[in-house]
Amino acid sequence: MGLTFLNTAFLFTAFAALLPLIIHMISRRRVDTIDFSSIRFLKQLERKKIRRVRIRQILLLIIRSLILLFAALAMARPTLRGAFEGGVSTHARTSVAIVIDDSASMSRRANGGALFDEAVATVRAIAGLLSGGDEAFLLTASSPTGIVVGDGTFSPDVLADELDGLRPTEAGTDSRRAVATALEYLGASRNLNREMYVIGDMQQSGWENEVGPSVEMSGETGLPAETAGGDVRAYLVPVTGPTGNCAVTAVRVERRYGGTPGMYAVIAEMRNLAARSCEIPVRLFVDGIQVGQTGVTMEEGAGGSAVFSTAVDVNEWHSGWVEIPADILDVDNRRYFVIRPEERIEVLVVGSDGAPRSGGRVGAPEGSGRVGAPEGSGRVGALDDSYYIERALDPTRAGVRFRPVMLTAAALAHQEQGRFPVVVLADIGRLDDAAERWIERHLSGSGGLLAVLGGGTDIRYWNAELLPLLGGGSILAPVERWSGVRLAPVSAGHPLLAGLVFGDGLIDDVAVRKTFRVEIDGADEIMELPGIGPAMVATTPPAGGAAALLYTGIDPAWSDIPRSGLLVPLLHRITGRLAEPAVRELHCLVGGDLVVPYDPSHAGAPVVLLPDGGEESATRMSGSRGGASLRGVSQTGIYEFMENGELLAMGAVNLPGEESELAAVSEAGMTQLLDPLEVSIVTPGAELKEEILVARHGRELWRTFVYIALALLALEMYVARPRFARQ
Amino acid sequence: MSEDSYRRFLDPTVVSKLATMELRARLVVEGFVTGLHRSPYKGFSVEFAEHRQYMPGDPLKHIDWKVFGKTDRFYIKEYEEETNLRGYILLDASASMGFGADRITKLEYSSYLAAALIYLMLKQQDSAGLLVFDESIREFVPPRSNPRQLHLLLSELDKTKASSRTGIGEVLHELAKRMRRRGLVILISDLLDDPDKVIPGLKHFRHLKHEVIVFHVLDPREVEFRFEADATFRDMETGEMMTTEPLAIRGDYLAAVDEWTARLRRECAESRIDYVQVLTSTPYDRALFSYLEKRKRLG
Repeated sequence: MGLTFLNTAFLFTAFAALLPLIIHMISRRRVDTIDFSSIRFLKQLERKKIRRVRIRQILLLIIRSLILLFAALAMARPTLRGAFEGGVSTHARTSVAIVIDDSASMSRRANGGALFDEAVATVRAIAGLLSGGDEAFLLTASSPTGIVVGDGTFSPDVLADELDGLRPTEAGTDSRRAVATALEYLGASRNLNREMYVIGDMQQSGWENEVGPSVEMSGETGLPAETAGGDVRAYLVPVTGPTGNCAVTAVRVERRYGGTPGMYAVIAEMRNLAARSCEIPVRLFVDGIQVGQTGVTMEEGAGGSAVFSTAVDVNEWHSGWVEIPADILDVDNRRYFVIRPEERIEVLVVGSDGAPRSGGRVGAPEGSGRVGAPEGSGRVGALDDSYYIERALDPTRAGVRFRPVMLTAAALAHQEQGRFPVVVLADIGRLDDAAERWIERHLSGSGGLLAVLGGGTDIRYWNAELLPLLGGGSILAPVERWSGVRLAPVSAGHPLLAGLVFGDGLIDDVAVRKTFRVEIDGADEIMELPGIGPAMVATTPPAGGAAALLYTGIDPAWSDIPRSGLLVPLLHRITGRLAEPAVRELHCLVGGDLVVPYDPSHAGAPVVLLPDGGEESATRMSGSRGGASLRGVSQTGIYEFMENGELLAMGAVNLPGEESELAAVSEAGMTQLLDPLEVSIVTPGAELKEEILVARHGRELWRTFVYIALALLALEMYVARPRFARQ
Repeated sequence: MSEDSYRRFLDPTVVSKLATMELRARLVVEGFVTGLHRSPYKGFSVEFAEHRQYMPGDPLKHIDWKVFGKTDRFYIKEYEEETNLRGYILLDASASMGFGADRITKLEYSSYLAAALIYLMLKQQDSAGLLVFDESIREFVPPRSNPRQLHLLLSELDKTKASSRTGIGEVLHELAKRMRRRGLVILISDLLDDPDKVIPGLKHFRHLKHEVIVFHVLDPREVEFRFEADATFRDMETGEMMTTEPLAIRGDYLAAVDEWTARLRRECAESRIDYVQVLTSTPYDRALFSYLEKRKRLG
C-alpha cells in the first residue's frame, strides 16, 4: 500500500502550508518596539506565562500550517493504494469504460436468447458496482465505434435508459478501434481505478480488423503508451455462443451481352463456417419475387457459389437478394443487389481533322469541321476509323444504348465538359494544347477514354503528350502482318471476349495486316487476342477515370476484323465498360457510404427511403457527373433515392462478409492483443463481480483530509481565542 | 483671570503647555487655592485665607494690626504665621521616569508637581529643598526659605532630564544620613526599584522622625497595560528587550502590578508614611491636597 495523489496538479498548493510561517516571520519583523519604563514585571512573567504564550504561538503556527497543508492535499485527491478485498466501503473513485459488442454477430441466438441480451445484462451487473462520483463511459464495438455515454457522468438511470435502447446492429465489428477510443477516455480520467470492460463474442475478425500490437493502438489514440494503458485494468468478458454458420458472402450481377436485352447473371458466393458439410437451397429474389432456386453443397469451412440467370422486362431500377435458409445468425443469410436501368450513353467520337466527308451528323457544333462517312465514295479503304466506330455504336439498332456524336479534334476543346461519359479518339494524329487539357479534365471528372491507333497516329506526339495521360508508356512502330491470322479460340481469355460466339467457336480468316507494339506502364489489364498478341490495354489514368488503348486500326487497311460479329460487340463492351466509372457504386457494406448516380442538374438533394421504412436526406456530391451519397449506412437492405416521389436510384447495403465468421479469438490471443494492459478474462455472472471487487483497490482520503483540516480549524479557533490566551 | 481659568491648570496636560516652570508652579497652586475656597477644607490655607472679624475667643495673636490701624476694627488673619518646616522634595529622575507615551512623561508630571509643592511651601514661609536623583544623588539644593530659593529650585527642575537607572534605596539612606533636622520628606518617584530596598530607605526617614509623603507617579499605561498588538518592550533603564503578546499576558501583568503597589501601600501604612499613587492623568490638586493634609497635621 502507498499514498498517491490523483490530482497532482494541486500538489503545488501544499506550499501554502508555508504561508503562516512566512506571515509569522514577516509580522515578527514588523513588531513594534516600545520603550517601556521597566520590564521587570514582564520578566517575572517570562518563566511561566510568556513561555506559554510562545508555545501557543508555535502551536497556532503548526495548526495553521497543517490546515493549509491538509486542505491542499485534499484537493490533490490523496489515495491510499492497496487492495481491500471486497471492500466496497473502501471505494476509490473509479472510471469505467465499457465496450459492448453490438455488431451483427451479437444477434445470433444462443441459450434461448440473443448473445446481445446476455452482454447487456453483464453491463448492468458492472454498472451495479459503481456508485456516485464514479465515471462510466459506454461504447459500442460495431463499426464505426459508437459513443453511447461519453460524458463520463455515472448515473444509473441514464445508463439503464441507454442500455434499454441498445439493439444489435447489422454492422461489422471493430473491437480494436473501440478499445482505442475507450483507452482515450480512460487516459483523460484522473481516478485511481481505471477499468475497461470489453463484452462481446470476441469475434476474431473484429480484432483482426486493423488489429495490431497495443503499441500501435496507443499510437493511433495519440496518447503515450503509459497513458493509454499504463494502469488500466482490462476485463474481457466473452459472451460465447455457437459458431456454426452459413452465409451469403457476396452477390455479383453481370450483364449478359449478346443475348436478349435485360439478361443478367446473378452470381452468389456462400461460405459454410460450420463444423460439418451442408447442402442448402439458395434462392434468388428479384423485386421481391422468387425467380430462381438452386442447391449448393459445401464442405466444412469451404465456400460455394450459385449462378442464376434472370431477365428484367422493363429497363428500370430493380432490386433483389439471394437468400439461404435461416441458421444461428440470420442477418448474413440474405444479400442484396440492385440492377440499374441501362441508360443511353453519349459517346463523343473524335476523328482526325480534314475535309468533311459527310454532313448533317448529330452533335457537332457549327463550323467545327465534322467528319463522317464519305458520300458515295464506294471505297471502303477511304473510310476512316471514326466512321466505323460511329456505325458500330449506331443507336438505331435494337438494344444499342449508345449515342455517338462525331467531332473533329479541332473542335474538341469547345465541347461541354462532363456531357460525354466516353470519348473515343479514332486514329487521331495529334491534339492541340486546348484539346489535351480538355481530355485531362475529362479523365479527372471520371470520364472514359478509348484511343484507337491507326495510320494517322503521330507516334512521337502520342508518346510525348497523350500516353502520359493514360499512365505512361510508349508506342513502337507498327508491325506489318500481311499473312492471315487465325484467332482461335477467341472465347478464351479476356472477359470482354467472354460469351462471344463466332460460328462454331473459331474465328477464321481474320487478317490483321498491321498492328502497333505498345508498352504501357502500369497497365491494369491487357486483352490479348490469341495469335495476334496484345490487342488492347486498359489503364487507370493518373488524373482519374478509365482509359483503353486499341492497338490495331479498324479500317480494312489494317485488319478485316468481322464488323458485326466481333467489332461491334467488342466496341459495345469496351465503351460500356469505360462508362462504368460514371455509374459509380450502387452497393456498399454497413457503415460505409452508399453512392448512386444523380443528375447534377437537379435542384435539391434526394430523399432516401431506408429499408426499415424511415427516411433520410442524401448528400449531393460535387463533380461534373454529380452523384448522391448516404453516409454511414447502418442497416442492410435496399435504399431508394427519391425526388418528388420519383425513384432516382437504388442502392444495396450488405453485411461485411467477415462478420459471418463467428470464431472467437483465443484467450491467449486476447491477452496478447491488449498487451501491456493488465488483462483479466472473466465469465459473466458472480465471478465477474468478485473479480472486479478484488481487483478494484484503494481508498480516496480527500474526505478524511478535509475532516482533519476542519478539526484543525476548530482547534485553531479554540487556541486562538483570547480566553485561551489568558489561561 | 476667573476661578475656572485657574482650575484648568490642575490638569497636567494643560500645565505641560505653559512656558516656564515658575508659571507652571504659580498657576497650579493658584488653581488649587481657588478650588479650596469652594471646598469644605476652607480655612486650612495659610497666607491666602480671608480676613474675618475678630470674635471673642480668637487668639489675639491672629489679629491683623495693620488692618486695625487702618480701619480701627479687629480682623484676624488665618494662619499667617511663620513656620520652620524644612521640606525636602526628592525627585526621581531615572530613565524610567521618562516614560509617557502620548501625553506627558512621568518626570514632567513629577517636575510640575514638585514645582507646585515648592511654590506652595515657600509661600507658606517654609523652607524647601530639592534632591534630584537616579541611582545616585544627581542634584541637591538644601532647604531654604529665602525668596531666591524659588527661582533656584524651579530652574533646577527645569533642566532635569530623565536618565540612568534607579537606585532609590541607596539614595534614601544617604539623604537620611545628611538630614540633621527633622523635616518633611516628599518622594516623587515611580518606585521602580526593588521594594526590599525602597521600603527600608523610607523607614530610615521615619526612624529619624521625619515625616514622609510618597507620591507614587505612574503612567496609566503602566497600570492598565493596554497594548493590543504583539510588541517588543525595551526597558528604558537597562535596555533589555522582550517580545511578547500583551493581550495574552495582560491579566498576569496587572496582577503583578497590583501586588507590587499593594505591598508598597501596606508597608508605607505600617510605617505611617503617606502613600499617594498618582497617575500622570491625575489632576494636581489631589497631590497638593495630600500635602496640605500632611502639613496640617504637622501644625
